[in-house]
Amino acid sequence: MLKWLSFNALGTWLTTRFRGELVGQDELGNRYYRNKAVKGLNAADWRAERRWVVYPDGVEPEPTLVPPGWSGWLHKRFEHPPTVAPLQVKPWEKPALPNLTGTPYAYVPPGSERGRGQRDRATGDYEAWTP
Amino acid sequence: MPKLTVDGVEVEVPVGSTVLQACEAAGREIPIFCFHPRLNIAGSCRMCLVEMEKSPKPVASCAMPAADGMVIKTDTPLVHKARRGVLEFLLINHPLDCPICDQGGECDLQDITLFYGPDQSRYTENKRPVVDKYLGPLVSTHMTRCIHCTRCIRFLDEVAGVEELGAVQRGEHMEITNWIEASLTSELQGNIIDLCPVGALNSKPYEYKARTWELRKTESIDVSDAVGSNIRVDARGNEVMRIVPRLHEGINEEWLSDKGRFLYDGLKKRRLDRPMVRRDGQLQPADWRIALDAAAARLKGTAPERIGFVIGDLVDAETMVLVRELAARIGTPNVDCRQDGSRLGYGPRASWLFNSTIEGIERADAFLLVGTNPRHEAAVLNARIRKRSRQIPMPVGRIGAAGIDLTYEVQDLGAGVQTLSDLLAGGIGFAKELRAAQNPMVILGSGATARADGLAVLDLAMRVADEFGAISEGWNGFNVLHHAASRVAGLDLGLVPGQGGGLDVAGMLAGGVDVLFLIGADELDLSGLSPDVHVIYQGHHGDRSAPRADVILPGAAWTEKHGTYVNTEGRPQRAKLAVMPPGEAREDWKILRALSDVLGVTVKLDTLGAVRARLAELAPFLATPDVIVPAAWERAAGPGDLGFDRAPFVSPITEYYQTNAIARASGVMAECTKLRLAEHSIKATGTHG
Ligand code: SF4
Ligand code: FES
Repeated sequence: MLKWLSFNALGTWLTTRFRGELVGQDELGNRYYRNKAVKGLNAADWRAERRWVVYPDGVEPEPTLVPPGWSGWLHKRFEHPPTVAPLQVKPWEKPALPNLTGTPYAYVPPGSERGRGQRDRATGDYEAWTP
Repeated sequence: MPKLTVDGVEVEVPVGSTVLQACEAAGREIPIFCFHPRLNIAGSCRMCLVEMEKSPKPVASCAMPAADGMVIKTDTPLVHKARRGVLEFLLINHPLDCPICDQGGECDLQDITLFYGPDQSRYTENKRPVVDKYLGPLVSTHMTRCIHCTRCIRFLDEVAGVEELGAVQRGEHMEITNWIEASLTSELQGNIIDLCPVGALNSKPYEYKARTWELRKTESIDVSDAVGSNIRVDARGNEVMRIVPRLHEGINEEWLSDKGRFLYDGLKKRRLDRPMVRRDGQLQPADWRIALDAAAARLKGTAPERIGFVIGDLVDAETMVLVRELAARIGTPNVDCRQDGSRLGYGPRASWLFNSTIEGIERADAFLLVGTNPRHEAAVLNARIRKRSRQIPMPVGRIGAAGIDLTYEVQDLGAGVQTLSDLLAGGIGFAKELRAAQNPMVILGSGATARADGLAVLDLAMRVADEFGAISEGWNGFNVLHHAASRVAGLDLGLVPGQGGGLDVAGMLAGGVDVLFLIGADELDLSGLSPDVHVIYQGHHGDRSAPRADVILPGAAWTEKHGTYVNTEGRPQRAKLAVMPPGEAREDWKILRALSDVLGVTVKLDTLGAVRARLAELAPFLATPDVIVPAAWERAAGPGDLGFDRAPFVSPITEYYQTNAIARASGVMAECTKLRLAEHSIKATGTHG
């Protein structure tokens, strides 16, 4: 219980506890909630429908790990969650990648020595002679 | 002399001047594109329009001869309108490339549009497309940018002497083209890049490498031949990005040979950037201490007369001062600065200088070329001879390899010494023409002096000069044309064996020495050298000599040090440091100074100033930069009976683009060589009739 609190703010916990309606859970254990909406309100109104995610216990919260279907629902691009209307995946779509920063797969700009182990040509370079 | 009024100012100009020159004399600046003071007048761009009283239309000032009583106005609404109109028409078909164009920042069209042009375009149609032309590995083209000034055509026709560019079609459809897709063959083709007022012709190696305003500009001297063309080295960071000529009326006017302009990419390849010492049969990197100790140990352990110094072609005079001092302290007489085996350097100074000076070519009226191919040995100087041959009808006789096109008409007299002595005896028709000349000029190349009978040939040539009136009051027509930038300084400093019976290069290579100290000497054949000879190589490129070396002391190339170079006229000029030497390489005179310390024979010259002061002491005529001290005419003492060699004279330069270590390292020069060889083989198989 306290451990759960260390990852989630008290406000989120209280809102989830008293107003949240569980919509579904994805394969990573993220749980998705929405509040009981007052119908017909401007989206900017605080009483309008809000959607949020609660990450599983003991895992570093990582928003980019939210699957595309759920992400779309969270951002209200889709009206219905993937449990109701599964995401259509086109054959040419690549799987979503989480944020790779800090991992060996992180992006390095071309020319960086970390990328290919060698740097690009730069002003002042010369070739030394070796016998 | 015609007197004109320009904007109310009265000016008097020499006969034959144009209105443009009169306006300039009156302090008025007239925008121009096609006019160039060193080329014929084309009058094709109409940028130079001015208003003339009593003329219904504005006149093109560059093509209008100045006449007495003209009244010219350069600052009237009509003139401004004319300029705006011309520019608007030019810009119709000029692409909006400025942000990526190599000429951006030094473009005449940009500048003139800024000052005189319209502020907006009324043109909405499509621009004219033009196919880019292939002009070889040195000049790149962007023909949509061309404004048809025809400077490039005129330069190649008039100065370079190859008719390889021309224009087809007319009006808007005019295109500059080389008819048949092939690379230009001139040794001066790089100059059309400078001449092109827009970015239509660019330097291919420099293309899209830098913007002009990023470059640090350093004044320097070209070392690819012995002409000493003045150049500007443009560098960014620690890299030479390009080389362009500087104006020097006495030497290169405003031209530069292609080798001097394009060899710089060799400065980035095969560099010696750390000292090396041979251990277990392998050259291995070492630090300066170890390398200097190794060199010093060998030098100390060898009898002085078994030590030899050879100086290469790119060495500056300061380094040679140190060599001289060091050799004197060690006590060896074996010092030679003539790695090609030339015999010059004994006798009076006039016997190794280009005495009439390069500017003097324009006073000469007959030429005798002996054992030289000036087109390859000194391309810019050859252009001067061509310029002179276009001014007056002028006989040019050549003794040496026949059939080489020098871009002007040449009579082939013969191949070797025999012809020269026949000429002296008056047995050749050309003798009459030479005698009839006011200021005849004899040019003696290293093909005639770099041979065993070199001194005898020199003596013969000097007698020819005397005999045919080449030496008179105010005229010295005896000239020696060198092709190594360091040579005259070396001879002036007396870096030849002789007094004291030292060995020359051939003697050293034939086993006369145990320690061979090469200072940038790469044009030597070391294959016959005994394996026991210890070779110390000081230089900047791992070229022909470095692989044979036992100790390598990395020096600086000419762009990387302050140095004095003396050209073939005997004119000392200073090249300045443009970039730093790579890695642990050092300026050459400092290396020798440090070595003298390790050897325990300290040469007490600690600053560049001190070295130059010593240089002025040793060779007082080299003290003031850019001043030629003429050498008094005096025939060298007869060489005794050396006997002549019947072999024909051969120019030392077989491959124009590959004459020094930097050029041999350069990829651009290698490509040029490949193309030239390919062309020769096409010609040889007879497709050209
Ligand atoms: S290419 Fe350049 S130099 Fe030649 S005609 Fe065109 S603008 Fe003039
Ligand atoms: S400069 Fe006079 S017409 Fe071009």
